[in-house]
Amino acid sequence: METSDSECFESADEDFFSDNEADRKEEKSCENIPQIEKLQNLNINEGQGKPNVIKESIDDRQARKEFVGDVTICSEEVNEAKEVTKNKQVKNLDLKSKLDTENKNILEDNTVCNSNDNKSTSIHNSNSNVITQKHEQKHMLDCDKNKNKVEHEDIKSIHTINVEESSPKDHSVKQLHQIKEEITCKETKITDTKVDTLMWENDGWDFDDNDIKDDKCETTDCSTSNTDSTNTFETEGIDTQNLNQPLVSQQVKSDNQKQTIDVEEENMWDNDDDWEPIEETNKQPESSKTENQSKSPTESKSTSDSWSSWGNWGVSSILTSATQGVSTLTSHVSQGLNTIVDTSLGIPDPQELARLHKREKEELEAKIRENSTELQHEVENSNTGTLGFGLGNLGNLVSGVSNLTKLVETTGSKVISGGLDTLETIGKKTMEVLQEGDPGLKKKRQFLKLEQEKPILSQVLREAKEKAEQENRSLQQKHIVKKKNYETLFDDHHGLVHLEALEMLSRQCDFKLKTLMENCDDDKSLMDLQETMDQVKELCELPDEDDEEQATMEDIKEKLQSAIKELNIKISYDKLLLTWEETETWLNTVNLKICDENELHQQAIETLAQLTAIAVEQFHKAGELLLIKEHHSTADEADSLVQLTTTLTSLIGIVAGKFSDKLNVKASGKSNGEDINGLITNVFFEAANSSSYIQDAFQLLIPVLQVGAV
Amino acid sequence: MSYAYLFKYIIIGDTGVGKSCLLLQFTDKRFQPVHDLTIGVEFGARMITIDSKQIKLQIWDTAGQEAFRSITRSYYRGAAGALLVYDITRRETFNHLTTWLDDARQHSNSNMVIMLIGNKSDLESRREVKKEEGEAFAREHGLVFMETSAKTAANVEEAFINTAKEIYEKIQEGVFDINNEANGIKIGPQHSPTNPSLPGAGGSSGSQGSGCC
Repeated sequence: METSDSECFESADEDFFSDNEADRKEEKSCENIPQIEKLQNLNINEGQGKPNVIKESIDDRQARKEFVGDVTICSEEVNEAKEVTKNKQVKNLDLKSKLDTENKNILEDNTVCNSNDNKSTSIHNSNSNVITQKHEQKHMLDCDKNKNKVEHEDIKSIHTINVEESSPKDHSVKQLHQIKEEITCKETKITDTKVDTLMWENDGWDFDDNDIKDDKCETTDCSTSNTDSTNTFETEGIDTQNLNQPLVSQQVKSDNQKQTIDVEEENMWDNDDDWEPIEETNKQPESSKTENQSKSPTESKSTSDSWSSWGNWGVSSILTSATQGVSTLTSHVSQGLNTIVDTSLGIPDPQELARLHKREKEELEAKIRENSTELQHEVENSNTGTLGFGLGNLGNLVSGVSNLTKLVETTGSKVISGGLDTLETIGKKTMEVLQEGDPGLKKKRQFLKLEQEKPILSQVLREAKEKAEQENRSLQQKHIVKKKNYETLFDDHHGLVHLEALEMLSRQCDFKLKTLMENCDDDKSLMDLQETMDQVKELCELPDEDDEEQATMEDIKEKLQSAIKELNIKISYDKLLLTWEETETWLNTVNLKICDENELHQQAIETLAQLTAIAVEQFHKAGELLLIKEHHSTADEADSLVQLTTTLTSLIGIVAGKFSDKLNVKASGKSNGEDINGLITNVFFEAANSSSYIQDAFQLLIPVLQVGAV
Repeated sequence: MSYAYLFKYIIIGDTGVGKSCLLLQFTDKRFQPVHDLTIGVEFGARMITIDSKQIKLQIWDTAGQEAFRSITRSYYRGAAGALLVYDITRRETFNHLTTWLDDARQHSNSNMVIMLIGNKSDLESRREVKKEEGEAFAREHGLVFMETSAKTAANVEEAFINTAKEIYEKIQEGVFDINNEANGIKIGPQHSPTNPSLPGAGGSSGSQGSGCC
């Protein structure tokens, strides 16, 4: 019995892996790019996160299991198998999401038995291009050779190791990991079923040394005969046959470990070509396999005691199909998710996919109907216990089961992809509703404080400057007269950096106020604080632009001085006034006949930038000085700052007006009046910018005043 | 005008150690024996070339007065380099270095390159702090050390440029994330952020010697 057990698990493993193989191939068909591989990892996890869907399919499978249970001959074994299957479903899902970085060590510790050989071989088949894997395989074989026991504890430890930590960068490395992962799955399975995994030496399969050579030959034969049999079972899993064949040959080999690996690899290479049709693989692997086994020369060579093992085929088959189911489901989940990702990138059409699913399902249903009648028949037959019949019947039975599995799988994947479609629609609708009347979700973001309330002015200016400089460079390349733009000039006069510093100061004050408010113990003090802050803010409200009275330089000087006096800090606008005086002089003496309109415009921009820079600088200084001032009269300070701001903006207006007057003179009686008008517009535009920078700088001072007030 | 990188520097240290004079010497190549007390912070800028790349140094010259300490602290943020200055003729300015250093380390990013400068090296007769002491302090705290004279311009250029070189090396090593402006480094307008190793505008005029007003 031991013998048969081990054999049955042997074959179970084969199937499991042949199926995994198919899954892998499916992945490949989705373009074997590392990205998708990565995604798969992720998807598996997501799949776990969708317990409903998975649970559903598990339920389906459980139902199927029950059905199988009715049917199968060896009810005891079936029960056992059921348990195993259940375990595996959970375990496999578990394991799929976990990648074992330390598998290598574990591999060395554990016996992987002959079955591991098969597994690794089959896996390598698909990846025969990857040389590193070949090495790995050799290594595994070496390891297997030396071990006789499965160490349960070690395998358990595998569960705890998380894949995600390893995140393989290299494609081939990733594949290696997958192989290892699968190996782990299998090991667990073996352990869970508590079957003594015996080496082939114990199976009564021992061959004389003389046989080794024969085996080799047979191995080669197998692959050939397989190719033939492919034709016979057209509707059945052709690929699986090919898959299994090397596995069988490996069984032989594992008996005779000393046989060279070269041979099996050779076989694998041969079979590689027949691997193309992927979809078929899942369909009826068991039946084809059964056929395979019976055809296999190795089998026929085996002694009569091996026949008793056929009774256990049911167990192994169920095991197999369950394993298969789980792995395929997993692959489907990942596939489905992959598809969603792909779709968003515009690769395969979801409708197309749905159509495919439908067709697949229809085909399957037809097949299942066929098989189920057979199945019923066979069940009766198998109950008679005729060994010879049992073998054949079981093969069919198994094929029926696998069909069911496939059906469940297709349904499962359909459910998943359908569910995802729905989710997508819901998401889209939600965004639509959210964005209604609030494009870009600006208000909502502000409400949630996700974004800063306003962009940082110095940042905006810097960007504008850089952009203009870039444009300038391209102009320079075309040998057009180089002109400095406003932002660059503003920066040259340190306006930008002063603004930046003022922003830092303002932020610091804001932070201080917030901390203060957070530290307020009782509601009353908090209210008081809030009230004070609001008052300061009210005081700082700039009056609406009054009528553009043409203020003289004297008026402005006076206003500035009185404001500074009221502020009671050591700032001065001497530099500003000096600049203004110089400009005035320049304007009065400029010879319009010589002076080009572009030069005039440049001078206007230069003056505006310089004046603004000085204004900002003085605001910055005012902020610093206010912060270190010991005695505050916030009302006065706010008042004088408002005064300063309005005076400075009106100054800007005057400057712009004077320059535009000059430009207007230029424009009259000239053919290029349009161009000059453009320049005038630009002067006013930059003047407006200047004013708003000054006002923004003033706004930045409000927190400073508030800090002084509280 | 066009630059590959912009480095923000801060100059810190006790009042009267010659911070503003160092800046003036570096940007304008002149010395002003009597200097107004700095209010808050003043600015200077100059273009330098490292590894055939134009780099703009934007220097924040902070006030050394105790009263401004809380204000100037808020300017440390986002500096790529710091010049920590003491006066070799005044022992107490050297003694305060630890406080300044702690302040700087606390309010700026950890990768900031700090250059320790013993200024007024021309006043050898009035020296109170030995060069070895400065060297020892720098070694102990992982700083670069130099003695300078803003008056004679000795080592002034080197102090600023060596700091820039250090920052530049850190960029090459990937220590500084140049895309994070909190590190005090801005990429020049023509510079593609995705390709930081590319030399800045090869054919740019480069006539801009000093960006300072």
